[in-house]
Amino acid sequence: MNNVLKFKNKKNTVAAQDEIYNFAYLDENTKRMIRRALIKALCIPGYQVPFSSREMPMPYGWGTGGVQVTSSCLTTDDVIKVIDQGADDTTNAVSIRNFFKKTANIKTTEKTSQASIIQTRHRIPEEKLKEKQILVYQVPIPEPLAFLEPRYQETKKMHALSEYGIMHVKLYEDITKNGHIETAYAYPVKTNDRYIMDPSPIPKFDNPKMNNNPAIQLFGAGREQRIYAIPPYTEVTSLDFEDYPFDPSKAPHKCSICGSNESFLDEIITDDDGNRSFICSDTNYCNQRMENN
Amino acid sequence: MQPILSVHNLNKYYGNQVGCKNMNLTLYPGEVVGVVGESGSGKTTFINSISGNLIPDSGKILIETGNETIDFLEISESLKRLLIRTELAFVHQNPRDGLRLDVSAGGNISERLMSIGQRNYGNIRQTIFKWLDKVEIDKSRVDDFPRTFSGGMLQRLQIAKNLVTSPKIIFMDEPTGGLDVSVQAKILDLLRKLVRELNLSVVIVSHDLAVIRLLADKIIVMKNGEAVESGLCDQVLDDPQHSYTQLLVSSVLQV
Repeated sequence: MNNVLKFKNKKNTVAAQDEIYNFAYLDENTKRMIRRALIKALCIPGYQVPFSSREMPMPYGWGTGGVQVTSSCLTTDDVIKVIDQGADDTTNAVSIRNFFKKTANIKTTEKTSQASIIQTRHRIPEEKLKEKQILVYQVPIPEPLAFLEPRYQETKKMHALSEYGIMHVKLYEDITKNGHIETAYAYPVKTNDRYIMDPSPIPKFDNPKMNNNPAIQLFGAGREQRIYAIPPYTEVTSLDFEDYPFDPSKAPHKCSICGSNESFLDEIITDDDGNRSFICSDTNYCNQRMENN
Repeated sequence: MQPILSVHNLNKYYGNQVGCKNMNLTLYPGEVVGVVGESGSGKTTFINSISGNLIPDSGKILIETGNETIDFLEISESLKRLLIRTELAFVHQNPRDGLRLDVSAGGNISERLMSIGQRNYGNIRQTIFKWLDKVEIDKSRVDDFPRTFSGGMLQRLQIAKNLVTSPKIIFMDEPTGGLDVSVQAKILDLLRKLVRELNLSVVIVSHDLAVIRLLADKIIVMKNGEAVESGLCDQVLDDPQHSYTQLLVSSVLQV
């Protein structure tokens, strides 16, 4: 009750971080536990480290894993950017940004180049990331073998012994059914020539960006209680066949706002007659191109 | 000639219950050894113990790979699993245990190929067709799911899936169990052909003496977890010495 009163009073007078929360919401012991998992994950690229995921003030599937990872990495000097499917202004992005504004009183930005931590759902920003930036992915299902081998014990063994033949069975089935590899998102990758990893449901268009990226890439799965990571400058290759090589395809259109040929596009249906247009999914990239022109 | 597989004094207990006791086996390249006995005699326990599906309590299993002899019970888990998916094959009585039902027939056959590193779709596809042909499944069924296959076809698909990497030793647990007699005859024909053509070394478990007589060179008769008689197949079946073998031979229905 006291806390609630304190909370109400604060809200009217102080815009700063609410004192009823520890910095960035999580308590220090939890953050320490998560940082340990993160360090282990960085040491073994692509390996899924179990961690004891906390109950967060948002439902599972809304980025609880990513939020916990971000919270554990956050310092008072950080500038945070949150994107959801590439956009800064969708519900998930706005609410997570506000969450950190409120609990950590931290600077936020929409500019990729100015952010020190970027939490993302299902995209990698178009703008090249730099050293000292951290990209935090929200992951729904961390186990790339889950749909092929439902037994968790067995998938653990398969990872430990690099028994990855079954992963190619999935791609084989794709080609057989469709004449090409149909998997368009969550396209499996091999990290540092060892562990097969689910890159979270990013479009396969983004897969090449993970390879040799100067930024730290962290993956948090809250419900599944797993953390994994790609350290800077790590080799990440997308699985394929010799005669069906990996193809990071995109819609064969230009962005109808900024005219970009290179960025990943969202298809927007514009009226009831089925007319459609394509726009950049990365809103910041699109806006900056418009400003520069 | 050196045996490709030799088992010495193998024991497997389930608590106080005997699974199989003091079992020995020698399998030479190109040879088929049949294990017969009534239900509960320990046949399946024995074949599971020597194929890596079960861990026996004591004994020795030696596998000759060509350049070295491997102590199957002493090697690391990773080497063991590598052996299981390259050099060894296991044909289950119920093909549904050995197949992935939500993966197409071709996908099932290709799994072992890709697990040993084949990455060329065209070549893999060729090998699949070759094996479908060998086990007499129509090529047009390559992209169908196993659940649309009949029992006999499923069993043939399982055999193809297992043999595609040319394993050295094949274990079969009642491969014709649960099939009607005409389909059984077809599978047996196929197995006999493959055994001769590919010079396979096979350990086959069956309660059906006719199956063993048709396929096996040597035979082990089991009762209550122990081998009561063993020797050349024709010799044992034509002139059974142990009373249980005599009973077994005389119980075969004459049509």
